[in-house]
Amino acid sequence: MNDENPVPGRPGTDPDAFADALLEEELRQAAAVLDPVPAELLQSALEAFALHDLDARLAELTFDSLVDALPVRGVVDVSRMLTFRAGETTVDVEVTPDGLIGQVLPPQPARIEVLGGPQSVRPVTADTLGRFTSETPPAGPFALRLSTGAEVIVTEWLRA
Amino acid sequence: MRAGTLRSTAYDDVPYTRGGTVDRTEVGALVQSAVDGDAAAWKALVEGMSPLVWSVVRAHRLSDADGHEVFQTVWFRFAQHLGRIREPDKAGAWLASTARHECLKVLRGLARLTLTDDPQVLDRASQERTPEETLIESEEAADRAERVRRLWQELDGLGERCRQLLRVLMASPPPSYGEISAALGIAVGSIGPLRQRCLRRLRARMDARGAL
Repeated sequence: MNDENPVPGRPGTDPDAFADALLEEELRQAAAVLDPVPAELLQSALEAFALHDLDARLAELTFDSLVDALPVRGVVDVSRMLTFRAGETTVDVEVTPDGLIGQVLPPQPARIEVLGGPQSVRPVTADTLGRFTSETPPAGPFALRLSTGAEVIVTEWLRA
Repeated sequence: MRAGTLRSTAYDDVPYTRGGTVDRTEVGALVQSAVDGDAAAWKALVEGMSPLVWSVVRAHRLSDADGHEVFQTVWFRFAQHLGRIREPDKAGAWLASTARHECLKVLRGLARLTLTDDPQVLDRASQERTPEETLIESEEAADRAERVRRLWQELDGLGERCRQLLRVLMASPPPSYGEISAALGIAVGSIGPLRQRCLRRLRARMDARGAL
């Protein structure tokens, strides 16, 4: 099934196809020796199982200025603007070199934390309208966990 | 328990069927077990799929720092989406596609900042001998190691399309064409012919160097 190099009449007996398969296998072994998955990354992926959270509602990324906005000519260092949505609730976030600024909409009080990985949780200050700031720019992947009155919402993991 | 058998199943039993139904069904079952809280199933998924995710990162020539962050982002998000993935048996394609999109975002971000041609972005895996290599003692094995190193170097001379395809193709266990398609954004139907062309070009380069 699914022969990579079908030869009419003689499937699987093409010596070139056989050599291709051998070379591919040789490359596979080369990659395993010369460019394996770094051990610390494997470990990090294993620990990520802890991020599997059935109770939280997922807020999906619906706008990312890196993808959805046109670049502004001559303007460097523009902030990254993100919007996440979970049902009726949206979270707007601006990622600046100085940290995060954001707001929960519709405005509502919420307890907000910045997750930086399976073991990293940092609370941020939010006002009664759900506006929040974090003085620490995220280093690497981050997600926001919002506890509103009734539910817990987690934004999709994203690389800042 | 099927957990932990992902690698050997895909690698030993059906090496060239490319995502034949056996191992992919197993991926779906592992995802389901992980959703139900089975840490061993998660471990099997990580061990079985990490090389694919890593290959996508490497195919896009990210810097180490960016590549590591993309890899982590992909796995964090996979954990987060576990119970919501519509086709669990295609989790490999989900991972590959997510990795590709994160890689493209990094490249877009870089292009937006500056137009520097960062030499760090180039692969540089072959500079130093890994511990595995230093273990090699016999002359024969040293010759083999030398050939492997040359193969690696020749990859860079193949052109970007071939280099990308081969880097993902060589993930272990062998990725399905659906996964390769998701990893590189190319049609499934064009993978076979491209694979053949690239492998033969590579072989010709090795022949030209008298390395066979």
